[in-house]
Amino acid sequence: MTIESIVPLFVAIPLAGAFLITLLKRIKGIPDTLGVLASASAFALSIMFVLKMEMGQRVICNVGNWGGFQEVLGRIVGIQLVVDGFTVFMLVTVNLIAFLVAVYSMSYMTRYTEKWQFYSLFLLMLAGMNGVLITGDMFNLFVFVEIASLASYALVAFGTGKKELEASFKYAVMGGVASLLILMGVIFLYSNTGTLNMEDMTRILGSSENPVLIYLVFALFLAGFGLKAAIFPFHAWLPDAHPSAPAPISAMLSGVLIKALGVYTLVRVFYCVFGFPEKVSSIFMTLGALSMIIAVILALKQWDMKRLLAYHSISQIGYIILGFGIGSPLGILGGLLHLFNHSIFKSLLFLDAGSLEYATGTRNLKEMGGLSKRMPVTSWTTLAASMSIAGVPPFAGFWSKLIIILACIQMGLWFYAIIAVLASILTLASFMKVTRYAFLGEIRNKLRNILEVPAPMLIPMIILAIICIIGGVLLIPGVRQGFLGLAVEALSRARGV
Amino acid sequence: MNLNLIIDALKNPNGFFVATPLSTLCAVFATMFFIFTVIYSLKHMQGRTGLWRYYIYLLATFIATLGIFFSTTFIVLLVLWGFLGLLLYLLIAFGRREGTPEAARKALVIVGGTDVLMLLGIILIWKLTAGSSGLSGLLFMRIDSAAGIPLSGTLSIVAYLSLASAAFAKAGAMPFHTWVPDTAENAPIPVTAYLPASLDKLLGIYFLARITLDVFQMTSYMNTILMALGSITIIAAVMMALVQHDMKRLLGYHAVSQVGYMVLGLGTGNPVGIAGALFHMFNHSIYKSCLFLSGGVAERKAGTSDLSKMGGLVKSIPLVFVTFLIASLAISGVPPMNGFASKWLIYQGVINSGGPLWVLWLIIAMFGSALTLASFMKLIHTVFLGQPSEGVKKVLSEKKKRVEFSTVIPIMVLSILCIGLGVFACKIPFAECFRPEVRGQLDLPGIWQSGLATLMIMTGLVIGYLIYLAGTIKKARTVAPFVGGETLEKNPEMRVSGVNFYKTVKDIGILKVIYRLADKKLFDLYEVSMKIVAGFGLVFSFMHNGLLSRYILWCLIGLVVICIVLI
Repeated sequence: MTIESIVPLFVAIPLAGAFLITLLKRIKGIPDTLGVLASASAFALSIMFVLKMEMGQRVICNVGNWGGFQEVLGRIVGIQLVVDGFTVFMLVTVNLIAFLVAVYSMSYMTRYTEKWQFYSLFLLMLAGMNGVLITGDMFNLFVFVEIASLASYALVAFGTGKKELEASFKYAVMGGVASLLILMGVIFLYSNTGTLNMEDMTRILGSSENPVLIYLVFALFLAGFGLKAAIFPFHAWLPDAHPSAPAPISAMLSGVLIKALGVYTLVRVFYCVFGFPEKVSSIFMTLGALSMIIAVILALKQWDMKRLLAYHSISQIGYIILGFGIGSPLGILGGLLHLFNHSIFKSLLFLDAGSLEYATGTRNLKEMGGLSKRMPVTSWTTLAASMSIAGVPPFAGFWSKLIIILACIQMGLWFYAIIAVLASILTLASFMKVTRYAFLGEIRNKLRNILEVPAPMLIPMIILAIICIIGGVLLIPGVRQGFLGLAVEALSRARGV
Repeated sequence: MNLNLIIDALKNPNGFFVATPLSTLCAVFATMFFIFTVIYSLKHMQGRTGLWRYYIYLLATFIATLGIFFSTTFIVLLVLWGFLGLLLYLLIAFGRREGTPEAARKALVIVGGTDVLMLLGIILIWKLTAGSSGLSGLLFMRIDSAAGIPLSGTLSIVAYLSLASAAFAKAGAMPFHTWVPDTAENAPIPVTAYLPASLDKLLGIYFLARITLDVFQMTSYMNTILMALGSITIIAAVMMALVQHDMKRLLGYHAVSQVGYMVLGLGTGNPVGIAGALFHMFNHSIYKSCLFLSGGVAERKAGTSDLSKMGGLVKSIPLVFVTFLIASLAISGVPPMNGFASKWLIYQGVINSGGPLWVLWLIIAMFGSALTLASFMKLIHTVFLGQPSEGVKKVLSEKKKRVEFSTVIPIMVLSILCIGLGVFACKIPFAECFRPEVRGQLDLPGIWQSGLATLMIMTGLVIGYLIYLAGTIKKARTVAPFVGGETLEKNPEMRVSGVNFYKTVKDIGILKVIYRLADKKLFDLYEVSMKIVAGFGLVFSFMHNGLLSRYILWCLIGLVVICIVLI
């Protein structure tokens, strides 16, 4: 089996899983098993890819080779799948979280009816995200973004309560606006270059003087993908949408969806297609810094644990965007590492919030307290994730923040460095609130008899917590070259640094 | 740089860890406090759940502390430093008071928040010295490689202040001190004695000394700032201590106040002052842990640390009274205790510093010492002397139980050290012990013959006792205190407690205003910044009203603005 032939499987396996689940929904246990198996095999494939990838390698796959890949007027018409270092990095991140969340959902989703619908939608969303990551075609990118988004609208409304439906509606409208903007951008770009293949676009845009229209495309993509990524000022839908979903889905949405559909696409399009012009770089940094500081201030006054976490997602996406916005190899490294770390600790935090809700029946921090004695594993994993997101050494989040601040200072961006430091302090303050109100102090009478959650929920949490603690390992030179280095190299080369 | 380098470094720890005389001395003290805390905890923490975790945290704290003292690279130091903050949080959480969760949170926010500032400072140093060496250059940047950065540009000043704020927060100097009294009040006593009172002081001042003396070249301007901060810390914290109602909180404020002397000493910039500051650091950790640990016994006997409910404990625990008294004299700087010896050095340093304001600093430092003594007179009176409260009476009436061996050993040894280090202070070769921070010749202008002075004090005491035995004083008789013909013992509500000894200080002119503001926590950096941030939060949440149309409007505005910026 050649490495090229694996590429389509990232979409095919979850997609097939989703359809099989709807067919076999009557058989007890099939949805869970299929859901876990599909995400597990996608994760295994992505790990295989990392091991086989070499520095600077790009794997291009012409699906089926049905024709259309012969050049017509010097351009390829068929849809190519392209995997480079950045894609592989994202594939590992997304599929790792998806796998762990699928395991967690086996127990958690017993609270809801119609588990098969959940797993089916879940795998559809995964297929969409993987598709976004591996595609090399602009319109295809849009299609996969839509597939993942549609599945997520349904998943946010999964509880079908009043609040869930309202949140889902808002989310769908905002998502619709985003899709419209992205589609318009794709159309203008196509009219300009005459191709949808990203590689060809890069060549054509690079060879001629850019018309003014290209700036409109920039703005449309920034707003469209910015909405998907929830960066300021396009973030307002997120604090409603993410808390309303079932906890494992919140973990997916905050942990990987906004990154695959938002950050990845922004970086892919602006780095690889447009070569990351100076102006876009400063817009990235400005929006990143604003997201960071505004969202964290808003997070400080939240009492709903999941809503608080959702605001922190915006804030942490700000760090990632800031890192990519700096654009130096260090900045890219910081952005990537923080992206990975954020996937880990934010999914973990949402899973923890899910466990707390599962055990206590509430998400309000004021109604909790003293839970560390009754739920030791949840308490420990939350502490590990909180320390990681707050950037307390030696947890994983510390290293990525270190690199981002380092990159700022290396380029002489004092102001952004100070914003990053401030936001980090406020993040710590905010997460101390979570651990203090949920876990310290005296336990309430009402909660005296609660139990720790079952093992399928605990195992993913423990795995994620371990990654939070030892995440700094990714910076050890040998490991760095094999995983982060691939992605940094791919992006630096695309930018021409 | 590759993997082999790390393996080599791990095989040969000299690359990452190296011992100097000062760091070795710090490590010896840390070891002592670790052992004493464990011994003391055996009894004090008895009967609580999850104690295995408690001891693991103590051990981890100890190891991390040793790592900091010996580390040669900034990043190793920072990682261990941050880890200590987390351990502090976990240890405070063992307290069982109502305020414990909030105190734990506050401590970690302040200590952890300043860690980020420390990170900023380290990166700025990297920028100033090795800016082109990339990530690995930062990860392996040695502290001594950054020696002698002049404090001339904005960058270096910001770097210094960032690093200093981390040291201040750890040591508990103003303006990052507010977690110390809260922690003292709400954490278990051994934890307070172990971290804020001793190890954190050693760490904070050690780090401050390293950056002040090794990394940066101080200017007279920055020295003045340090001295001013030190003096403010001394006087403000001791004023707060005067009016406290809780024994542990009162001791906590003194823990802040004494840091002021160390900062003041370091700020003088001359060898005598620096030696004094470092000596005071060690002395402080000794007498402060002694105070906390002895206080812990009193708290356990009385069942509370509320001063108004204590009193008369001397009959129950005379030995603890003695150790507490010795440590109190030491912290107040009464000769011949160790506190006096180090304060004496600091005073000389201040005189030598020769800045325009040295008289002011000297007066403040001496005045602070006097107030400390006053405050401890109140404390000793209310806890050990005076009339016992109802609760204490019950304890006294029970059969007298010996204080356990595991409690006695630490406080005895510590109080003996208080005397010993004071009496033999002039025999200590400071220049040797405190290398490399104390450089050059130590010339002491004020000659202090501690041996002779001790002898004279002893003689004085003996003569006094002889007079007491021989003289007319013997004819004195003891009566129960009474007011207006009524004996107080029959009316418990007439008991005179020392809690409000200095309450009147709150009513003096300008102090009245300051105390009132302090009660509103206006001088608490943590509370104030939280309020400011909450204000911003109100503004932002006003913009998030949940209406879809408004959110879409934002997106459009964002789109338009981006368009304008791009074109």
